[in-house]
Amino acid sequence: MKGRQHVNPRPHGASDIHDEDEDEDKTVPGVKPGATGASVGFRAKLAGVSLWDLVQMECMAGSRMVVLVTGEAGIGYLYFDRGHIIHAVTAELVGEPAALEVLSWTNGSFQPCDRPWPETATIVTSHEALILEAAQRRDEGQRSNLVSFPRSGRAAVTEEFAPVTEEFEDLELTDIEEEGALGMRSSNVEDEPPGAAAAHADLGTTDFQVMLRLSASGVVVRSHGASEQQAETIAYVKRLVDLTGELLGLDEFTALEFVFAGGRCVMFTDTNGDTVVLRPKPETNLQPIRGRLGL
Amino acid sequence: MLESMRASLATLKDVAGISGSFVCTQDGRLLSRDIAAVFDDDVLAEAGSRLCRVKEAFAAGGDDLEAGVMRFGEHKIFLKAVGSSMLCIVAAGGINMPALRMAANLVGRRIAADVSRGESEPPPVRTAAAAHPPETGSTRRPTQPLAPPGMRRFRGRAVE
Repeated sequence: MKGRQHVNPRPHGASDIHDEDEDEDKTVPGVKPGATGASVGFRAKLAGVSLWDLVQMECMAGSRMVVLVTGEAGIGYLYFDRGHIIHAVTAELVGEPAALEVLSWTNGSFQPCDRPWPETATIVTSHEALILEAAQRRDEGQRSNLVSFPRSGRAAVTEEFAPVTEEFEDLELTDIEEEGALGMRSSNVEDEPPGAAAAHADLGTTDFQVMLRLSASGVVVRSHGASEQQAETIAYVKRLVDLTGELLGLDEFTALEFVFAGGRCVMFTDTNGDTVVLRPKPETNLQPIRGRLGL
Repeated sequence: MLESMRASLATLKDVAGISGSFVCTQDGRLLSRDIAAVFDDDVLAEAGSRLCRVKEAFAAGGDDLEAGVMRFGEHKIFLKAVGSSMLCIVAAGGINMPALRMAANLVGRRIAADVSRGESEPPPVRTAAAAHPPETGSTRRPTQPLAPPGMRRFRGRAVE
């Protein structure tokens, strides 16, 4: 969750969190009146806290409470009891599907509220498993903003959780549903000057066989289709390339493209020092990426 | 170094933006060079051997590296595998890549026979006396680590 939020931890561990631009005394239907006013303890303002973190906090606190979550797609209620989410409700869903729906939201508020307690628990899955499932669904569903490429030859690429700066422009990565759409789009891109082609790059995760992100220390941060051996190879290659550049007195390594007998590989260094590797499918037009990376 | 190979490398400079080139074998021998003297042979051999190791690393995973381009700020290094050796071309960042690729392909083809001959030659053997001259109390140097084949410098330090 990237929105700014206020958090008002209550003595028993529950948190009262709402959007910063909301009036702190504003009451929300169903929300405990005076829940914040009567509390003692610390009042905190948190920015950029994810809903998943808040859920984990509540579960760790072992709270028995109902939380109203207001997200981009509506409102939902999560019922916490002794470290578990035991029930969830949204406008259309109940139980685990509702919990997964709520956990898929990325912006909103998180407030304790009064709600009737369910007669029986509708969720038996642990909160960790629910969050994992929500994360997996988000990954699978997130076809956009997976990677972004720099406008110029200076390679710096951000992934979905990286801060977006003005210097970089996201490449829209979408599923290509229409057969032949990629070919049409590629030919269009080729007709444009390199800069324009880069700006209109429209590549999907379906365009890449392998997408891999390694931290500066070689830890696999994220992997899509990459084997452990590939990750090791990339980590070693990155080191060799860095040393080569250093030896020849060149500037810092930013990006590369290798052509193999059976494929291609693009690798670049992100702003945070991560190494990102993409192995496109044979039919994928790499010209937009080359433009962005200055290759 | 073969003069014919050097002459072939020199033709690469027809492409605007190419600073120079060199060819290095897998075991770190510099077969030929046509690049500014600021890069000494040892540096080029070491750089080349590392780039050959890049090829080896990918080969271990079943990927046969044919060519590649690496960007370092305002410069690029273009790689072209020639046998088990590597043709390395140092160029400006804004070089015309299709022209560079074409030139590298042609030169790679032209020097292939010479590279093959160079690869088959046994690496120069250093005699024990030359490699480890008798040490005297006054000339004794600190022990240096053994380097992998072809590597003469490691992190800026000369190694044996």
